[in-house]
Amino acid sequence: MLLSIALVSEILPIIFYLIFLKRNRGEGLWVIFLYSLLSFLTELLFFGMVRRQIIYSCFDIIEFTLFSFFFYSSLEKKKFKLIPVIGAVIFYIVASINFTSKSFGSLSASLESILIIPYCILLLYEQIQDPTIIFVYYNKKFWVIIAFLLYFSAVLFLYIYYNSLSSEQRSNYWAINNFFEILKNILICVAFIMKKDVQRSYLTDNLDPDI
Amino acid sequence: MIILEVTTPVSSVSTVLFFGTIGMLALTIGLIVFIIFHQRKVIRYQMKLQRMEQDQQKLLLNASIRLQEEERQRIAADLHDDAGPLLATARLYLNENLVNLDKTSQLQSIYNAKQIIDDTIQLIRNISHSLMPPTLKNFGLESAVNDLFQKISGSGSMNASSRFHDYRERLQTENELIIFRVIQELINNILKHSNASFIHLTQNTSGNKFFIRLHHDGRGITQNDFNKLNKSNVGLGLKNIQSRLKVLHGKIFFEKDMSQTYYKVTIELIKEEDNKLAEQD
Repeated sequence: MLLSIALVSEILPIIFYLIFLKRNRGEGLWVIFLYSLLSFLTELLFFGMVRRQIIYSCFDIIEFTLFSFFFYSSLEKKKFKLIPVIGAVIFYIVASINFTSKSFGSLSASLESILIIPYCILLLYEQIQDPTIIFVYYNKKFWVIIAFLLYFSAVLFLYIYYNSLSSEQRSNYWAINNFFEILKNILICVAFIMKKDVQRSYLTDNLDPDI
Repeated sequence: MIILEVTTPVSSVSTVLFFGTIGMLALTIGLIVFIIFHQRKVIRYQMKLQRMEQDQQKLLLNASIRLQEEERQRIAADLHDDAGPLLATARLYLNENLVNLDKTSQLQSIYNAKQIIDDTIQLIRNISHSLMPPTLKNFGLESAVNDLFQKISGSGSMNASSRFHDYRERLQTENELIIFRVIQELINNILKHSNASFIHLTQNTSGNKFFIRLHHDGRGITQNDFNKLNKSNVGLGLKNIQSRLKVLHGKIFFEKDMSQTYYKVTIELIKEEDNKLAEQD
């Protein structure tokens, strides 16, 4: 049941991005749209292919490349921009070693989580430091960051221990992945649906953060 | 990561995974909540500061408007009460009946009218000088301050002296006028409230800063008193000082001398070129 909902949720960000295309133009969220599209296509391919591991490995690499690009383009400070670049180099080395592995790429997936979590914290830090962003939660990227931060925090231990689990445990614990996949997609949808200038209009109407 | 996988027994993997995930989620949610609340707190604090600054600006603006009105009223009163009757009297001397009078009376009337018109000219000159002291306009701040201090010392009730250590080049006239008005206001306060027996003013510069220091031995105020008076509805003169100095990006400090005998007022200004840069910023 949860798996079906998770699969359906994959398509939601794609639909909402296309519906609210105008709102998302110029916000740098096309990378997230591409990621959602890739994620959805991978799930579709996953059912029809025999060599699933290859698909996962490819997906992992492309997914991480998109994330790195998203964080690289979103971070403002030059010294911070270096971090996703260095992280990507490390990830590519590990992923290429692990590419032909027959089991689930636990190592590369875990490394991806370990790298994405600090990227999210870094971007959050930069957002709260930015004086032009009055309330972080009125920023589209904030919701994208929260989506990834929650998702990767939730699945980090699952990915680390995945190869040590029995098949029964795997199917039980995979529910964590499915649940947070749904949550991530919902949060990405929130980012896509949000009005572009909500912060500006809010500011001119009322400045009280309590309201 | 690999070490974690290898060293953890299979039976406890499930527990570690469960608590690890819960822990990570708790940390993440905690972080998000902290960021949101911290930001709201910071914004609330900034808004409070902004509101306080706005209130302060409002007070300063009100003080400035009130002072301007008082000044206008004073000029209007001077013109109405002094110049008006004088000119009316001169007109009486020069009425139509003058032609019917004998030569001596005519000359006497014309002489009296001339005297009254001279007095009126002097009166108008005084009003004009109070608006823009000619010494300040023609000879600069040092001469204007010396002139003012000589008048105070001349009264015999107080000893006033000044010394300009580093005033080779004059400042812009409008800036000198602002500084002079601030000094006048401070002197006025000292004369009115302090009961001092002497006032000493020194001027010097340090780097890009221009300092004017006033010492007196009467009852004075400290910076705390100044801040309190600035925030209250009283202390119109002090607010006026503050608003004038704001134009020059200047600061004022009120303190008691190290010896606890004298009160010291320091006016700190940025030199003009730097001031222009500050305005551009």
